[in-house]
Amino acid sequence: MRLARVRHAARTARRPGGDLSEPSLLVVVQRYGDVPGGAEAHARSVVQRLRPHFAIEVATTNSTDYLTWKGDLTAGLDQIDGVTVRRFPVERPRAWNFKLHERRAFRGGHTLDDERAFIDAQGPYAPELLDFLFKRGRDYDHVLFFTYIYYPTVLGLPLVPERAVLVPTAHEESAIGLTAYKPVFHGPRAIAYNTEEERRMVWRRFHNERVSNEIVGVGIDIPLGRNATRFREKHGLTGPYLLYVGRIGVSKGSRELFAHYQRWRASDPAHDVSLVLVGDAEIAIPKTSGIVHLGRLNEQDKWDALAGCAAFVMPSLLESLSLVTLEAWAAGRPVIVDARSPVLAGMARRAGAGLAYRGAAEFAEICELLTDDPALGDRLGRSGADFVARTYTWPRVVETYVDLFAEVRARLS
Amino acid sequence: MVQRYGAEVVGGSESHARVVAHRLAMVNEVEVATTNALDYWSWAPHFPVGESMDGPVRVRRFAVTGLRSPTFKDAERHVLFEAHTRSDEEAWLAMQGPHTPGLLEFLRREGKDYDAILFYTYIYEPTAAGLPLVPERAALISTAHDEEPLGLVPYRALFQLPRAFGFLTPEERDLVHARFRNEHIPSEVLGIGLEPPPWHDPEPFREHYSPRGPLVLYLGQVSEGKAVDELVADWVAHREGGGAGSLVLAGTTRMAIPERDDIVSLGRVSDEDKYALLEAADALVLPSHLESLGIVLLEAWQVGTPCLVSAKNKVTSGQVARAGGGASYERGGFGKALAAVLAQRERLGESGRVYVEAECAWPAFDTRLEQLVDLVAT
Repeated sequence: MRLARVRHAARTARRPGGDLSEPSLLVVVQRYGDVPGGAEAHARSVVQRLRPHFAIEVATTNSTDYLTWKGDLTAGLDQIDGVTVRRFPVERPRAWNFKLHERRAFRGGHTLDDERAFIDAQGPYAPELLDFLFKRGRDYDHVLFFTYIYYPTVLGLPLVPERAVLVPTAHEESAIGLTAYKPVFHGPRAIAYNTEEERRMVWRRFHNERVSNEIVGVGIDIPLGRNATRFREKHGLTGPYLLYVGRIGVSKGSRELFAHYQRWRASDPAHDVSLVLVGDAEIAIPKTSGIVHLGRLNEQDKWDALAGCAAFVMPSLLESLSLVTLEAWAAGRPVIVDARSPVLAGMARRAGAGLAYRGAAEFAEICELLTDDPALGDRLGRSGADFVARTYTWPRVVETYVDLFAEVRARLS
Repeated sequence: MVQRYGAEVVGGSESHARVVAHRLAMVNEVEVATTNALDYWSWAPHFPVGESMDGPVRVRRFAVTGLRSPTFKDAERHVLFEAHTRSDEEAWLAMQGPHTPGLLEFLRREGKDYDAILFYTYIYEPTAAGLPLVPERAALISTAHDEEPLGLVPYRALFQLPRAFGFLTPEERDLVHARFRNEHIPSEVLGIGLEPPPWHDPEPFREHYSPRGPLVLYLGQVSEGKAVDELVADWVAHREGGGAGSLVLAGTTRMAIPERDDIVSLGRVSDEDKYALLEAADALVLPSHLESLGIVLLEAWQVGTPCLVSAKNKVTSGQVARAGGGASYERGGFGKALAAVLAQRERLGESGRVYVEAECAWPAFDTRLEQLVDLVAT
């Protein structure tokens, strides 16, 4: 019964002609709600900001865990931030032999079947979500897909291409080389890229320049009253510290960060600078003095931590847009990035707000430079804050989305 | 890329593909990827798999694995007319065939070595599954008409993916745009190019039929699918209403034809006889509702014969209107339309001839083809 009511709402919002009812928007994303993950947080913040402009619903899975996709939430209708969320069941967890499927699909002589098996094995395998898009997707004026890589987008977008907008959150990785992703980048009516660098990479790989697109990204909400002292006192920290916030794992470059940091401290014990890690750890953290793991922090704590750091370190190579890097800039702090990450190094250069290292020696030099000359860090940080205020504001992001969707609607009417 | 290829292959889009391959081969390096099937229903193996040459065109044939499913018609009825699921529609595509995994792998691996890939016929798996492997260099020559399968799930994305479309007629372009809202993808209306008619002699047919009144010709597959049953009924009504003449049916016969003196079924005829019949005829009738390009109309106009087409078919009605070479009729209005066309045979036939000369001359066709290739080649 409730399903029927919601469907009706979506339809009435689509009355043709110049009436004042809001256009309808369905957001498709692999997980939604109180879940970790940059793309998922991105999706949720966009939904909240687009709410005043669209009759909006979310289609997602009943899982919160991207490693297993176990169905730990109830399938069916849910409400989050006042938005109807349709959770479709993940019918099987991520394949136990996913690594095998990954290896098969990524090796040179692989077949189309290897690619299809990889997409299914990677999941989240939620065929009912596809059935919903098949039957009801065209009741919405727009369908916004987050993240190019997962099953709901790869198999869902081709069901509603004429009304689809994609937020790829793409970066260089093996999967993006698969042929299976070509329709995802050629099929939608428009693409909302996060950064110049992401767009350039996608164009180079897919030659899909003809698809309408904008650099959209996100807005950064900056809380008032950031307090570095409060953070230091709460966690018993003295002296300068480098900060990392996010998932701590191999794919995030955490191992290299530990190695670089340890080498620097060993060769240069005079600089008593700690490395503070915030976030869930998927790998063991070295029991070296100077490395402090605080686990997950609430928003206030996180912003206090950002405000107080000598520099924020983002060693990940695989980012399409690092929200926390933008937040570090918004907090007025400089950022240290790996020069091999095109997005982060490109953004740091454009923002004039970060330093990029190639290897341990340069990492050490940069850390010394920033701890010896705090004024330099402050200057870079201010430049970063200006960059974020210029580019990553919600009014600009919302306006860009509204314009993109209006373009899609104009073609459909 | 086309589902079947070769001089002996019968089929509108397949013939078009072969003409295009040969025209393009005059100024491009052209290869054809296709299957080893001759028959579009069973997809039974016929040609040897592997590479061969068709004049200047290198042909790569890939094996069809498995024949068309014997339950295909049931599955099709289910997805077209009954409540069904997404998976049913997806399964339908594979059942229809021709399932040719080697061709798809070839496209995935080697597709990037071609500047442009022209895909023929939206409906079959080699296009529906193959074009998404190389969208960045693909043109779709959809040969679409207003039919139920066009709404099925495998085609939702297909029509959004190519870099350009080649349409056979303006009506096909309008249909595709209305269905898929993909006006932003550039397109070219290709039509077709025609060789001048071969030597032929219409006199024997004229001498034979003219004593009995006008000779009305149908040329093509004689089947219900082509609405020849409706034509026969219309003809009978026309005769009962006092009309005179003979209805001659030339083409492979796949339906029962009433035994009457005024209806003659010749079966398949030679190319010379075809043109002799076309020129001897007072009018050509094309009753089919589903033609994506009435080539036989163009051939009739080449020899100055006017045409009558079903008003139900927007494509052939559009062709007749553009050429000023005949008339379209509604069911029940056949006799009246025929009389009108016969009364102006010379004027209508001449108008058709002038139209064909301008539109179907090779230089005009080649220019349109090169424009399509230029839209795709990057």
